[in-house]
Amino acid sequence: MATTTQSSWHVLSRVGAGILGSYLFTWGFIALGATSLLAAGLEFHEATDLVSMLGLLIFLTAFCYAFIAASLARVWLVLAGGGALMTLAGWWLSRSLA
Amino acid sequence: MFANFRLSLTWLHTWFGLVLGFVLMVAFFFGSMSVFDREIDRWSLPQTRIAAQPMPSFDQVLAARLAAMTAPDPDQLELAAGRVTQPLPARLKVTTWSAFTTHRDPVLDLFVGFKVPHSKVPDDQIFAEVTIDPRNGRVLPRDQLPLGSGFFYPMHFSLNITWHDIGYWIVGFAAMAMLAAIVSGIVMHRKIFREFFTFRPERNLLRSTLDLHNLTGVVALPFHFLWALSGLIIFAGIYFPVIDKMMHPLIEAHEREEATHTGLALGPSGRPGTLASVDAMMAAAKAHWASLSVPGEVGFLVVSHVGNSNAYVSIYRDSTDRVATAEGLHFDGTTGRVLFEDPPVGPVATVSGFLQGMHLQQFKHWTLRWLIFTGGLLSCVCIATGFIFFVEKRKRAHASAGHAGARWADALAVTTVTGMVVATLLVLVVNRALPEDLAQRDLWQKSAFWLAWLATLVHAAWRSTALREARMSKAWPEQCGAIALLAAAAVVLNAITTGDHLGRTLSAGYWPVAGVDLTLLVCAGVATVAARKLHRRARSCAVAAGSGAADLERESARA
Repeated sequence: MATTTQSSWHVLSRVGAGILGSYLFTWGFIALGATSLLAAGLEFHEATDLVSMLGLLIFLTAFCYAFIAASLARVWLVLAGGGALMTLAGWWLSRSLA
Repeated sequence: MFANFRLSLTWLHTWFGLVLGFVLMVAFFFGSMSVFDREIDRWSLPQTRIAAQPMPSFDQVLAARLAAMTAPDPDQLELAAGRVTQPLPARLKVTTWSAFTTHRDPVLDLFVGFKVPHSKVPDDQIFAEVTIDPRNGRVLPRDQLPLGSGFFYPMHFSLNITWHDIGYWIVGFAAMAMLAAIVSGIVMHRKIFREFFTFRPERNLLRSTLDLHNLTGVVALPFHFLWALSGLIIFAGIYFPVIDKMMHPLIEAHEREEATHTGLALGPSGRPGTLASVDAMMAAAKAHWASLSVPGEVGFLVVSHVGNSNAYVSIYRDSTDRVATAEGLHFDGTTGRVLFEDPPVGPVATVSGFLQGMHLQQFKHWTLRWLIFTGGLLSCVCIATGFIFFVEKRKRAHASAGHAGARWADALAVTTVTGMVVATLLVLVVNRALPEDLAQRDLWQKSAFWLAWLATLVHAAWRSTALREARMSKAWPEQCGAIALLAAAAVVLNAITTGDHLGRTLSAGYWPVAGVDLTLLVCAGVATVAARKLHRRARSCAVAAGSGAADLERESARA
């Protein structure tokens, strides 16, 4: 296969971003998505079921993105950073809803 | 990481497809078996070869049986002991009684839920479970393993690895890799429409393998995608327990609000209560369904807050006529009057219920059931041809460079393709060969399965030395031969040990056992043809080794 030569560390980091980064990103998406929909007045299970289902497609997209994107640093920043930010925002929103 | 978009996705497809493909073979093969889990149960438990039974009388059969279940299953108790902050009391408080059956079940599963006090997990519950003969309430021996629902089905979604739910996570990640392999596969092969009609078995192995990989991938594309996705949706709560872990106050607030709306008590009161006639409630439920002109047998029945004045009974219709599970009717436990009827579900729950119901197939539709079985086998063919393509593409280069990569990929492919079938058929043979009254019959069968599978790995690894000279491993035809012998032996042993030979089951129209026997015979036939062809190929490959190298390289470059 015609690849640009990459260190095995780089490949490992890609795989790590694809799995762990996508997991964090999806976690954040579900947290923020569910609380936002609840804040918008959707029924409880309708909101949580919807984001859980969409979350799986979000994971799939994030997973593929981690291997396609040129800059690995940006992949980690978007997935892990974005995931952490969304998780925090979701947690904050859930406190104001309770 | 790679020169372009397509090459990145090709890398993803190749490596995640190979590594997780071994898990996917297990998930899809045993998933296909699970489509007929109840039928395999009948085959493996001859004493249950009777017609499907409706939910029996609660008052006369179930109540006494459930009341006798006073302690949770020992293995669940042991796990729960690890989740509590204080030692568990000698006797746990019973919370729920439930009974579950489907239109394919001659036996009935009973469950008793127990509250785990001082648990780190909110609302922690553990269960006692028995299977009974609903005609007389007799309990089936626990060590009589129902192979379909008790072994093949959990293998499908958890690999039967229960430690920390790790099996669920491995299968879940493999399902995600399947989705990624589908997306990347579509990007790699743009000529989707043409591939639908392309299979050139007469061309060299590499080309025809790729044709078959693409053909099975494209033909059953919606199946591959939707079954992997709906499988993930079923266990989404395990994979992403976000709401449960982060927003428990929100869940509790919702439950409180729901309880005031439905009138179904959240917890027990301080007063004991006597359960009214549940048979009368079931009769009322059936009358209600009849008034709605829907078919109605009771599929699932739950008594919540057992023995308490807050007790209520939830009765659910079985799902013979619809994909998603039906809404429930809830009765006051002490008075027997209807407390609440679940309203029609919202749009999201409709979609989610459809996707999950489609995957779990409790509906009564034999054509669809066979189509889903075929879809699962097509997924297996797609994954298996992926392995073969991986090996064929690399074996010459690896052989000349002295790499062992293609060799081990081939050994693992043999183990997860033919080896898994050998182990599955062996467990059927062992099921019929062991004495019926043998103690721990379940353990013997499970051990036989794992040992047989291990043996196929050792055999495949030993035979894969042929890959060093870029020849075909003889493990393929030899294990196909073993499949043919074992499948035929299972049918013969069933006839000898139970007397239910095909002549009898077919003339009696007893399809659960006749169907398994016929499928085994088809399997034996296919495996015989495959073994013969593969033996011939192994011989001709040995003669012609090296002669077609140039052609192969040209094809590889194009693929």
